[in-house]
Amino acid sequence: MLHVADLTCQILKNVSFTLREGENLTILGNNGSGKTTLARALCHLLPSQNIFLEGKNMGEIASHLRSQAINYIPTTLDIYDEYLSVSDYLELNQFESADSRKREEILEVLEIEHLKDSPCQSLSSGESSLLLIAGAMLHRAQYTILDEPTANLDQAKKVKIYRLLKSGSYFQNTIIITHDLNLAYKLGYDVLYLEEGSARFFGSCGDFFDPSRLEGCFGNAVQNIGGNFVVNYDEIR
Amino acid sequence: MKYVSLLLSIAVLVIAPFFGEIAVNIQQIFNPASSSSMLFWEIRFPRVIVAFCSGAILALAGLVFQSVFRNPLTTPFTLGVASGATLGTALAIVFFGGILFWQYALSFFGALLTVAVLFLLSRSLKSAQTSSLLLVGIALSFFYSAALMVLYYLSDFEQSYSIVRFTMGSLNIVGFDTAYPIIIVSLLFLASIHLLRKPLRLLLTSLDFAFLKGVHVTRLVMSLLLLTSLAVALCVSVVGPIGFVGLIVPHIIKLLYRRSSDMLILPTFFYGGIFLVACDLVARNLGAASDIPIGVVTSFLGGPFFIYLILHRHKGSR
Repeated sequence: MLHVADLTCQILKNVSFTLREGENLTILGNNGSGKTTLARALCHLLPSQNIFLEGKNMGEIASHLRSQAINYIPTTLDIYDEYLSVSDYLELNQFESADSRKREEILEVLEIEHLKDSPCQSLSSGESSLLLIAGAMLHRAQYTILDEPTANLDQAKKVKIYRLLKSGSYFQNTIIITHDLNLAYKLGYDVLYLEEGSARFFGSCGDFFDPSRLEGCFGNAVQNIGGNFVVNYDEIR
Repeated sequence: MKYVSLLLSIAVLVIAPFFGEIAVNIQQIFNPASSSSMLFWEIRFPRVIVAFCSGAILALAGLVFQSVFRNPLTTPFTLGVASGATLGTALAIVFFGGILFWQYALSFFGALLTVAVLFLLSRSLKSAQTSSLLLVGIALSFFYSAALMVLYYLSDFEQSYSIVRFTMGSLNIVGFDTAYPIIIVSLLFLASIHLLRKPLRLLLTSLDFAFLKGVHVTRLVMSLLLLTSLAVALCVSVVGPIGFVGLIVPHIIKLLYRRSSDMLILPTFFYGGIFLVACDLVARNLGAASDIPIGVVTSFLGGPFFIYLILHRHKGSR
């Protein structure tokens, strides 16, 4: 159980919610509304005293236990060493055993096995996103926070990641940050909607995608056309 | 390529003690009564060993600093740690008459003080701003050289001369007594960095990544900086501030091996040693009257390379 009790840090103001074992979460919100800040606070990259894991304060959990409990996947891959290869990176995500079969299986699932020996710095932004997801699948923390995992991907890859998340076989509990309302809707996870650092909505997916609430959050920018949420380029305000 | 350079290096290492101002008679070196034996075992051989250990420490220190601060230009020299150690040693020369213990102690103190300042600043600066940290290092170096000027001003002629010779870097070692500390420290330094290579490798991705994999980042960075600064401080107090080794060697090794830095600990250590032995070989055999100071040779080679590196920095790492 992941419990956030009245978290106020940087832009965030009095954010509270609880995620039980087996529950997943989608975090929505405009640019600069505090989604990434919340994610960084959850995994203690931003130290705070308000995050509790199974009733224990995150700041008091030993670092190796914390790393098994929670993992955060940023939007972009940040690697300093220019010669660190894709398989080196993946190996760093494996805790107990450096099982190369497991690595190859995941590379195959994501269809990036041809990049195995490439330096990480040479990857395109879409390939980097896939590598980040592959790393998260190998790390397999109890809670995995994915920050806009599909933002840089082509349509087919977005579908692939959606199916992967839906299958539930590679992640335990997922917290996903996204701007893709279709993805949020289809995943059906509980929704936390942030506005200027405050949690404006926390509840079930069905409640959030109620037409009147949607209009309250996004105005005319989003239209529901036959169960798909489309960005309305003509009608903004 | 790797095998060629390895063979060449071993050759340099083997022939180095035989060349110098005075020729060594090879048949006589195992004859304890001869002057050749004396020259070989008491002067040339310890000198090559000290050159090797110092070069190895300086090169590995460069690799560690570059990895920790995530910038190809950071070394104990560009960040002012070595200047701190130099000032400490110069203080010992002036105020404690060059007693070895005080040289070591003040050199350690100068290096640690600098590294503490850098560490505190790097925490308040964001991780992307290592260039500001470099500027701080340069500012510190200027401060230390100003303090060194004050020392020249205060000291008498003989002390000034020994400070000048010291800051040029010198491998004039007699006997093994001065060599032992640096041999031991270089091996301990190599072993400790080797033990830390797994967390170091996580650090080579990003600090956040290392943190999320359960590394205690602050503790790791602090112990790496502490170990490195102590090794560099000892090195500086024995052979003087020999610049550029820590900058050039890791970059050459990276170009040669094309592996991530955690795999380059041993090669950097080894070739750093070889580089300084080779530079010393040049320094001892070019000058007609006496040795050219070793710092001059490494800087003549390192200066142009440093400029080349600044000009081409944007290609390799973003």
